[in-house]
Amino acid sequence: MLTCKEASLLASKKLDKNLTLRERIEFSLHTAMCGLCRYYAKDLQALHRLMQKMAKRDNTGLIESTKLSEQARERIKQTMSKVLHPIDKS
Amino acid sequence: MTHELSPPEQWLQLYGDILYRYGMARVRDSEIAEDLVQETLLAALKAQANYAGQAAEQTWLIGILKHKIIDYFRKASREKVSEFDEQLLTDDNDDYFDQQGNWKVDLSIWSKPEKAMEQEEFIQVLQACINLLPERMAQLFVLREFEDMKSEEICEVMSITSLNNFWVMLSRVRVQLRHCLDINWINQ
Repeated sequence: MLTCKEASLLASKKLDKNLTLRERIEFSLHTAMCGLCRYYAKDLQALHRLMQKMAKRDNTGLIESTKLSEQARERIKQTMSKVLHPIDKS
Repeated sequence: MTHELSPPEQWLQLYGDILYRYGMARVRDSEIAEDLVQETLLAALKAQANYAGQAAEQTWLIGILKHKIIDYFRKASREKVSEFDEQLLTDDNDDYFDQQGNWKVDLSIWSKPEKAMEQEEFIQVLQACINLLPERMAQLFVLREFEDMKSEEICEVMSITSLNNFWVMLSRVRVQLRHCLDINWINQ
């Protein structure tokens, strides 16, 4: 019988790859008996799906107000124009 | 359908904030994210002749930025990481499990409905919880979840010595995040 710690590892791993047959059986046996790990696995899965959705939408939790600062924008602009107009020494 | 590039002078105006936001979500440091935007635009200048028009301009630029982010993580993983990993993996002082491997944390407010998780407030708490992770753990999590990189690739980029260590580290991040969400997000 797996410990909860071992089961938590499989709950995580199974989001990223197929478990081996042995791992699947051990995990099922454990979660059949252990409500906490059953919830834990369910929550991890929900979190995992949410992260994937966020990544896909490019909505990674940062609101529209996250913007380049004026200073950074100016700095990048100048660096760009040095490359774009190398002769212009102004 | 093929796409055409707009004049490079307009890139910063058009995509600066989008690239910055993309970078910030992954590196979570404004100075580094600013540098990454600049490096991306400069690399795009050099590469524009090779632009085949298969991807939309924005997708093309984000593709370049992704490479820059992974390079940054790779560089960050060159220093002192083996000590960090070793300590993490051999630490008997587990905050979440007792000696017998039973849950040690309070799991009373578990299981959030998935709908509720898409709320703005939840996502902000999630970002805050990711920010609280040790830098290396956050990087590992970001590469896995946001960049959808395979375990082997992440081990290579982050100099993780074995796949087994990778699974243990990833599981640790998730336990930690899950717990942080528990205590910081109150389901209304």
